[in-house]
Amino acid sequence: MSKSSPRRPFGGRSNGTVTVIEARVHRSSARNARLAFVMTAVIVGLLAAVVAASYMHPILALFVGIGVGVPLGGIVWVLVRIWPVIRLLWWWTPEIGLAGLLLVGWVQLASHTPTLVTLLVVALVVGVPAGVPVIRRQIMAWGWCLVVRHRLRVCFAQFIIANQSGSLPLILWATPTPVGERVWVYLRPGLSVKDLEGRLDKIAVTCHASTVLIERASDGNAAYVRFDIKRREVLTANVGSPLVDVIDPATPTVEQAPPVVPTALDLPDVQAPTITLPKQQGTSGSKPAKPAATAAANGSKPAAASSSVPDDDVSDWI
Amino acid sequence: MATATASPSSAGVPVGPGLSMFDPIFIGIDEFGQPVYITLAYRNLLAGGEPGGGKSGLLNCIAAHAALSVDSRLVLLDGKLVELGQWEDSADAFIGPDITAALDVLRRLQVVMNNRYAWLRAHNRRKVTALDGLSVITVLVDEIAFYSATVGSKQEEFVALLRDLVARGRAAGIPVVAATQRPSFDIIPTSLRDLFGYRAAFRCTTPNSSNIVLGHGWAEQGYSATDIAPTNQGAAYLIAEGGIPRRIKVAYLSDSQIAGIADYAAWIRRPGTITTPPSSPADWGMAA
Repeated sequence: MSKSSPRRPFGGRSNGTVTVIEARVHRSSARNARLAFVMTAVIVGLLAAVVAASYMHPILALFVGIGVGVPLGGIVWVLVRIWPVIRLLWWWTPEIGLAGLLLVGWVQLASHTPTLVTLLVVALVVGVPAGVPVIRRQIMAWGWCLVVRHRLRVCFAQFIIANQSGSLPLILWATPTPVGERVWVYLRPGLSVKDLEGRLDKIAVTCHASTVLIERASDGNAAYVRFDIKRREVLTANVGSPLVDVIDPATPTVEQAPPVVPTALDLPDVQAPTITLPKQQGTSGSKPAKPAATAAANGSKPAAASSSVPDDDVSDWI
Repeated sequence: MATATASPSSAGVPVGPGLSMFDPIFIGIDEFGQPVYITLAYRNLLAGGEPGGGKSGLLNCIAAHAALSVDSRLVLLDGKLVELGQWEDSADAFIGPDITAALDVLRRLQVVMNNRYAWLRAHNRRKVTALDGLSVITVLVDEIAFYSATVGSKQEEFVALLRDLVARGRAAGIPVVAATQRPSFDIIPTSLRDLFGYRAAFRCTTPNSSNIVLGHGWAEQGYSATDIAPTNQGAAYLIAEGGIPRRIKVAYLSDSQIAGIADYAAWIRRPGTITTPPSSPADWGMAA
């Protein structure tokens, strides 16, 4: 800390603050465990003593209450103390379960079947999903759902500071969508959709995605939000209109007057004065549907107009 | 409901497909592959985005539905002539780059709107419904900037008339669909732009442009039309019923498909067939 303070005047102080918070969090964990122990022991002990008092002498019942309350309080103390580890195990439950299942399956298969059958079964179990694109994509999508929940938790733990106790939002289930994944999250106190909207780009980077959108998932509860993680652009193919199938191609057509095909389709065909500003305002009132006619009518004008310009210039100079 | 006297071929006389402007209009699909419909009868739509983004595809989708609807009339204003030009035979008015004619038709629409409100008032009603037998007059304006900011000295009048239509036409069955590249305040006054309830933003070059089309603040929430690839024509963000922009892909009609639908629509709309829209679907069946 003494080394960091000369580098920046306020660095030392802010480092100190962070350390204090972390220490407080650390201490609060121990204090929570102690508190849980005392509360459990007292409440359970008293209840047990009261119940036991109807069967025996109150002093004996007090001893029974202590005998019941203290071990239970101890169990609760251990649970609260190792809560970070339990939480970690809970986060990785799907992966642990899958890995266990695979391991058990492999061991059972290898020990109960001959090698050839084992290899055949493995080839089928791995090869069919890998070979059939539909199944492969579905499994990949589910895999991404698992990944993205961890990545979102990394976002919340690493750079979205929620509150002093460091509680993380509850990351609920995830489903694959055609563009990526959709994850439902229940925010804890200290966060809001507005906070998260300022960090969409960082969340996208953390989730290895293109963009991330956040919407409220419930009209009645602002804590319940939905993350739309996009990693693919799907709207690239042409979409047809069903109205094409509605019509009858054998319909007789209504006879129409032949359309007027204008001429003067190239730049030299249109003379300069027709595109000057006052002229355009004058002609825009009348129908400009006949550019050929205007071009023809103006055919003689530009010569006069262009010749008048040098005259003006000359008179100005003289 | 005897049909036309002027049907030359007795066999296979086509009958209107029975669409209505009060039906949801199919305009494309969303990111989940689901069809996207908008009900336009009581809404106004503003489409924006850079040239070649697909605005005309959206307008043509709506025009096709309107042309095939029995209870609809089309008023087309197209500064470019070609985007909506194929619907000229189905339309009651087709205005090219001619602001005087545009003003005339807008004034006519204003009179119709006033009459309809007087009619509604006389019947103690508040809005036109599908059962009234009145036609929905869909006003499609492509390149609105041409009329409102480019030509002539009558831009203010055009804007004022259009704002009146957008503001009051909703309940009278006169929806307005306008398209322009960048509806900033110097092209369309903010007072007109903000009246459009539905927005469609095709590809934009800056988040600010996207915000101008969709409404303030959407780009900051991640709904920015800048992330649409330039090659992906027809992809857009649409704010419609849900209130939140949805990424959609607009259905595309090729020129020949438009020509086919336009011919068919012109045939079912030829003079003498539809004077008043039939009041119930049973009538359409009888007509067949």
